[in-house]
Amino acid sequence: MMDSGFDRRDFLKVLGWGGAAVALSGCGNTSVEDGKETVVSYSEPADYVIPSIGVYYNSTCAQCDAGCSINGRVREGRVLKLEGNPNSTVNRGKMCGLGQAGVQHHYNPDRVREPLLRTGNQGQTISWEDAYKLIAEKTQGVSGDQIAFLSGGVSGHLKVLLGNYLDSLSCKNHFVYEAIAPGVARAANKKSYGVAMPRFSINKAKVVLSFGADFLGSWVSPVHFSQQYAQFRKGVDGQRGVLVQVEPKMTLTGANADRWVAIRPGTEGVLALGIINALGTATGDIAAAVKAYDRDRVSEETGVPAGQIDKIAAMLKLHSPSLVLAGSAAEGYEHGSQNAAAINLLNHVLGNVGKTVEMTEDMPFPQMSPETGNTAALTSLNNGLAASKYKVLFNFAANPVFTASGAMNFKENMAKADFKVAFAHYLDETALQADLVLPLDSPLEDWGTQVPEYLATCAQINIQQPLMEKLHANTRGMGDILLSMLKQRQPDDYNGYEDYYGYLRSAVLSVKDALGGASVDDETFWNRTLSGGIIKFEGSVNKLSANASAAGLKLPSHSEAGGDYPLRLIPGVTASMRDGRHANQPWLQESPDPLTTIVWDSWVEIHPKKAAELSIAEGDIVEVTSKTGSIKAQAYLFPGIHPEAISVPLGRGHEAMGRYAKGYGVNPFQILDAVFDKETGELAMHETRVKISKTGQRVIVVKDEGAAGGQQMGKKIAVRVSSDDVDLSEEV
Amino acid sequence: MSVTNLLDDWAKFRHPHPVDDKPHDPYKWAMAIDLDACSGCNACSVACYAENNIPVVGKDKFLHGQSMHWMRIERYWDEDGRDFPDQGVQFLPMMCQQCEAAPCETVCPVAATNHTSDGLNSQIYNRCIGSRYCSANCPFKVRYFNWYDYPTTDDVWPAEMTQQLNPDVSVRGKGVMEKCTFCVQRLHEAKVVAKGEGRIVREGEVQTACQQVCPTNAISFGNLMDPDAKVHQQWQAQQVELDKDKQAKDENEGGSELRGYRILEELRPYPSVMYLERVRESAI
Amino acid sequence: MHRIFHLSVFLIGLFSAATVYAADASQSAPMTPDSQWPLVEQPIEFPHNRHAKDMQIDCMYCHTYARRSAVAGIPPLQKCIGCHQSIESVRESPRIKTLFEYWEGSEDGKIAAKTPMPWKKVHDLPDFVRFNHERHIKRFIEQQNRPTQEVCGYCHGDVAELTVARRSKALSMGWCASCHEKEHPVTAAGGTPIGDQAYWYGFYKSEADAAGGDLKAHGPNDCWQCHK
Repeated sequence: MMDSGFDRRDFLKVLGWGGAAVALSGCGNTSVEDGKETVVSYSEPADYVIPSIGVYYNSTCAQCDAGCSINGRVREGRVLKLEGNPNSTVNRGKMCGLGQAGVQHHYNPDRVREPLLRTGNQGQTISWEDAYKLIAEKTQGVSGDQIAFLSGGVSGHLKVLLGNYLDSLSCKNHFVYEAIAPGVARAANKKSYGVAMPRFSINKAKVVLSFGADFLGSWVSPVHFSQQYAQFRKGVDGQRGVLVQVEPKMTLTGANADRWVAIRPGTEGVLALGIINALGTATGDIAAAVKAYDRDRVSEETGVPAGQIDKIAAMLKLHSPSLVLAGSAAEGYEHGSQNAAAINLLNHVLGNVGKTVEMTEDMPFPQMSPETGNTAALTSLNNGLAASKYKVLFNFAANPVFTASGAMNFKENMAKADFKVAFAHYLDETALQADLVLPLDSPLEDWGTQVPEYLATCAQINIQQPLMEKLHANTRGMGDILLSMLKQRQPDDYNGYEDYYGYLRSAVLSVKDALGGASVDDETFWNRTLSGGIIKFEGSVNKLSANASAAGLKLPSHSEAGGDYPLRLIPGVTASMRDGRHANQPWLQESPDPLTTIVWDSWVEIHPKKAAELSIAEGDIVEVTSKTGSIKAQAYLFPGIHPEAISVPLGRGHEAMGRYAKGYGVNPFQILDAVFDKETGELAMHETRVKISKTGQRVIVVKDEGAAGGQQMGKKIAVRVSSDDVDLSEEV
Repeated sequence: MSVTNLLDDWAKFRHPHPVDDKPHDPYKWAMAIDLDACSGCNACSVACYAENNIPVVGKDKFLHGQSMHWMRIERYWDEDGRDFPDQGVQFLPMMCQQCEAAPCETVCPVAATNHTSDGLNSQIYNRCIGSRYCSANCPFKVRYFNWYDYPTTDDVWPAEMTQQLNPDVSVRGKGVMEKCTFCVQRLHEAKVVAKGEGRIVREGEVQTACQQVCPTNAISFGNLMDPDAKVHQQWQAQQVELDKDKQAKDENEGGSELRGYRILEELRPYPSVMYLERVRESAI
Repeated sequence: MHRIFHLSVFLIGLFSAATVYAADASQSAPMTPDSQWPLVEQPIEFPHNRHAKDMQIDCMYCHTYARRSAVAGIPPLQKCIGCHQSIESVRESPRIKTLFEYWEGSEDGKIAAKTPMPWKKVHDLPDFVRFNHERHIKRFIEQQNRPTQEVCGYCHGDVAELTVARRSKALSMGWCASCHEKEHPVTAAGGTPIGDQAYWYGFYKSEADAAGGDLKAHGPNDCWQCHK
């Protein structure tokens, strides 16, 4: 039937004909189904609401504390997507993946919807009135120092209101806890620069030397720094910026470095002093302090080749200004403060202070400035709980049962408090231990103000406004909860405020003149503030303390790892998971880790050489054991890690917190040893020593690498070129 | 639906692009991605999920290669056998390259994927019958198939999460191929506004979701035909021409000192996305 | 040989299409412009004839979003109440009473105040179709100055004769395309020619008519203009 001239092309033509014939008859058949769907029109819409056209409202992202401003796209009364607010000098219209997932926090099916009272192992729904009565009752016969309030970092009016509530209880025990916090750096910065968080201008630097500061990923204000990084790469005076990252485990920022230097864990301070020595420009006590740190000694201690040290010093000498950053990798040791001090010293010696390390503005309303969280706070609280000091424990925006080291026995100690209240979005590990769980509004449906710790360009207060009506009728905003409880205790002072919105509005309007609104009426000023989304202050800028001193600088000599626990555990901080509070947002679980491309699971990063030594192959389930405990996870051969270290990412390993978090991965927080920085008492996250053993089990690693495993097979796919071979002068 | 145009020349419909007698006018959407700025953060990938109703498939399906990320960040290691990747890694944002001579367009048995007049490779969900020939033919492997009916699969869009879905983008059912659309819904919206004012869309008026969110501004997108557009200026400065499979600048001995290139250009799909090579400082 | 092969496949295709069509006959209705699709019951039998014919109210007074949005919109309750709160003559009629129940709340408390009316959607295009009212209003009413009721009638039929809306056009793709295939002069207000659109489904249909200075084109010329 078919002659030899019939080929594939004809076959497809024929198929097309056949298909066309069917399509011909499509004129009468339609997919229009009248009467199937209901269209619910509005009853009384505002006149700017046009169906099918989105209205954008400004608010503030609450996925981390960087304080990026967002524009929520709202259509037909529901928020669909978040964009950055172009008017914010923090993020200038950009966002990170974490911020995008804010809608999944809001619409999450596992949010708590009703106040729950524990009866045995169950949570019974109770009314808010009963909940408030219960709290009043339980705080009645108790003195203020038997009450403890644990929260994450707080700022803005919520901080003020919380302070007032605790005052009303005569309670001075407010523990501000963040599991991942630059606590050591803050203290070191205060000593070296005079302020806990100065302004770092990456875009003004020609060279950035970062000791483990993952500023593109999760450090301090990643979206803001990413923007500066883009400018930095375009270059100051047309000279492309150079990034050197020194750390024992490659972070996202390290992946983008011109030179990534694998350093022996803990020896960052030694390298910093070695570079100061190599620069040869230091004088006085600094020169004396670094005299012993010649390049050969430093090279031996840190594992960094001497030639590399020379190159770094040469580059820093040649190009000024530069910027040196101390990140979590440097901080996480018993001598973390010393490391940070040595690294900060490098900024002084290089003359960066005042150029790329700058003072921030004074905050005209210091009561709004953030109460920043750190890990030492949890240690204090834990000690108090262990001693049965606290009868009543409140928990807000913290999940210590998940993030505390197993060595702290936090769960057992928490049980010693008679009455525990959790203000929570989800039944996470800590809420499950509480006696009373009060459900919170999500940040996208609540009012508030927020002041970021890192002031990117000026002092500012970010406004948070609801992007839609409450999803669940019985959740409340934290501000409203505090206000209700304050009304109970101090009715005269607070009954004048109808709700937290009323409180905020009157608080802002009461300083209207100071905020530049003297010429307009209250309503106009308030609306203007809301639609701007940010209150900025042109404050006075102070000079940084040029306290360049090596006094008190004492770095320990490198201790050989060995014995039963030969490897160093580096808990990895990823941009999406962080301390685990976003593990129930499925976009983030499915978003591959940029370095390993692994999804929905934890892993143990081992250097291929070390893995070969231990006969570990990819996918082998290995047991990682510290003195405190052990976890089991799949091994992943990763060249971006020092052979004496292994890394397990933080944030997964939840046993609660909803369907997208529970049961995925393992939790390295649990096995961290209780070792602390000597000066600040911060948990030394990188001091845990472990041993690793195969369990005999093996899995296929679920990752996005593709069949080629990250290789280009000789094709020109993702091309890298040396700076010598490229002409950047014609770039747009 | 007239019979005449059916009989007219079905083969002409599968005309490979680019062609001189059909120049792009007034729009040719194109992109330029600066790999030196791309930090690999994956914000673009998550933003794409948010904008385009992309389902989250979960761990098991991901293992089977059934992930749906229209925009993915690929990570490449150096292959020189050194102990450490001491010049970092290479990140590559990869999405549908909207090829001018798309290998996927010619093999669809039902013409569910075509070329639009503004230079996009279209994917029509209700026409697609799920033969998957297009994704087999795609050299970039940027086409994703709905192996399951995600709208009715547990935990993909549980109640309340359905409220997040973008009404301007179809929610795909089972058996349908999907891929990056250069946010055609946003382009459409921008064109409606522009047409209402009697003009074409100007530079800066429309952004794709990935471009809008990228914290390092690594992605630039716009109308290649518009001399004011950044993407036009970039392609011009890098001397990359849309309708050449081998660029003139690459004829030189030792290649070019310009950073712009297109991936798998030698296969002649004429992609609309230009990448700028990542630079690493040699002095360090 | 080829031709016979082509023809047989074509006929087979046609035959199967016809069977499919016949099987669906009960669901799909006759195709003439005058025939009507099934009547859809609404919470109130809203009399378009009273408003559009007797009182000559412009369609876009109520369906106000048509000229600035993709959807024409069902008027908010406020729009109805806006007039009817002062029309004493019909205030006690059953339909108006139902209307006010939604606005003020019903006496038995079953309907809360300010509850929007749950209308059933007529002319409900499938979700994979993108239709933009604004463009059509701009073309016919603003640019070509045709009367509103006539223009809305192209797709919605003679609404002034109906009480509740009832579909009287196929609204299938072929039906929409039959209008879009007509050649028409294309210049935007302001005099800027909109490109030289030259193909429909990939086939050449017209070249730029340089002689008269007019450009001729068809409507959307690629699938993505109407499919999303």
